[in-house]
Amino acid sequence: MPALASQPAGAIAEAMLAYKAGERSPTVMDRIARGFTEAEIRAIAAWVAAPR
Amino acid sequence: MRRRALLGTALLAAPALAQAAPRVVVIGGGFGGATAARALHRLGFAVTLVERNATYLSCPFSNAVIAGLREMEAQRFGYEGLRREGIAVEQQEARAIEDRRVVLADGGALPFDRLVMAPGISLRPDAIPGLDTEAMPHAWRAGPQTLLLRRQLEAMEDGGLVVLSAPANPYRCPPGPYERASLIAHYLKARKPRSKLILLDEKDAFSKQKLFEEAWAALYPGLLEWVPLSSGGKVVEVDAAARVVRTEFGEHQAAVASIIPPQAAGRIAQAAGLTDRSGWCPVDPVSFESRQRPGIHLIGDAIIAGAMPKSAFAANAQARVCAEAVAALLRGEAPAPPKLINTCYSLVEPGYGISIAGVYRPANGLLADVPGAGGVSPLGAPAATRAAEAGYAEDWFRTITADAFG
Repeated sequence: MPALASQPAGAIAEAMLAYKAGERSPTVMDRIARGFTEAEIRAIAAWVAAPR
Repeated sequence: MRRRALLGTALLAAPALAQAAPRVVVIGGGFGGATAARALHRLGFAVTLVERNATYLSCPFSNAVIAGLREMEAQRFGYEGLRREGIAVEQQEARAIEDRRVVLADGGALPFDRLVMAPGISLRPDAIPGLDTEAMPHAWRAGPQTLLLRRQLEAMEDGGLVVLSAPANPYRCPPGPYERASLIAHYLKARKPRSKLILLDEKDAFSKQKLFEEAWAALYPGLLEWVPLSSGGKVVEVDAAARVVRTEFGEHQAAVASIIPPQAAGRIAQAAGLTDRSGWCPVDPVSFESRQRPGIHLIGDAIIAGAMPKSAFAANAQARVCAEAVAALLRGEAPAPPKLINTCYSLVEPGYGISIAGVYRPANGLLADVPGAGGVSPLGAPAATRAAEAGYAEDWFRTITADAFG
């Protein structure tokens, strides 16, 4: 499984938005993604993808 | 009290500091405190962590130690990682919290601009008449009690009755008693198949209930019996020497008993005047600042967190939010309202995991569920789903312990 931090922000955001929409096979992430707005998801993705 | 709290963060903005980096002290080196110390250090503060023990023993996965599925050393984490990063670790007890300074057991004092406390829980075995925790271990803090309960189970003859109890809400790790019952049942089924387990519950409903009951019906029929409050689940008294557990409805002769007593915030929080009549600590849900003593923030199992459960995951999430809030307040800014996540995995047997997740935000002075989010694993899911979640549980443990302890 590729490390999340190596993914571009756009890909992370699209994956979380797909979980939120119920379009990816459910794990725990679908339940969590539903708690965030699209803007929040894009902010989270940018933070995760940012070099640290 | 609520009105006072709403004023809290606004009025308590930054002490006018000189140029020196603000000093932040963290008390308690569990999942919450260790995470907070690291997060505050990364934000540029001079951080001292006060923790009385040389190492930390994790409660998550300690039910597996009780059931012989895991060794205690896999639960142990040290503070070398924090020290390496430049966090000062004071290995001693904090004795008192005075105005802007922590007094230590050796008589020294640590001045602070802001204090973060993660004092965990205290147990109240005195609330159950007759209870002797050596004869009937609670094992609700990982350590000698965990190993004591394991040895008692190992020494028990086949055919014995194991009696467990679950307290009323709120308490540390809401699904914990049910995971414990599951894993001990797994041990009995494999090693002592003529034995039985009764779980006496001071509640009529519990976390992940349908998922646990589905698993128990499939895995432990006739072996594991759950007794809710309304059927006599409340333990009113024990005879520890005779291993008798009495409820409102009758008594049980146990071969091994694990009685989990009611709980309250860690003792130092009580001594410092941070608890209310409930025994837990009221905090502002944005800044995690105490509603009773300004300048002191509280996180983890000790706090009144509304819908957010007392879990290692929750403590870790609160620690990160609290660190950002402390930084904002020390800059003289208002902390941003957070959203927090919790996920708790439970094992019902090796390779069979179930979970509950939630997303939380401040509302009406507490943390409330974000509507539409969260929930539990699906009922009736295939074995592959359960196996995947058991794997996620182990991944989570590796991730959170690395995040807290480095």
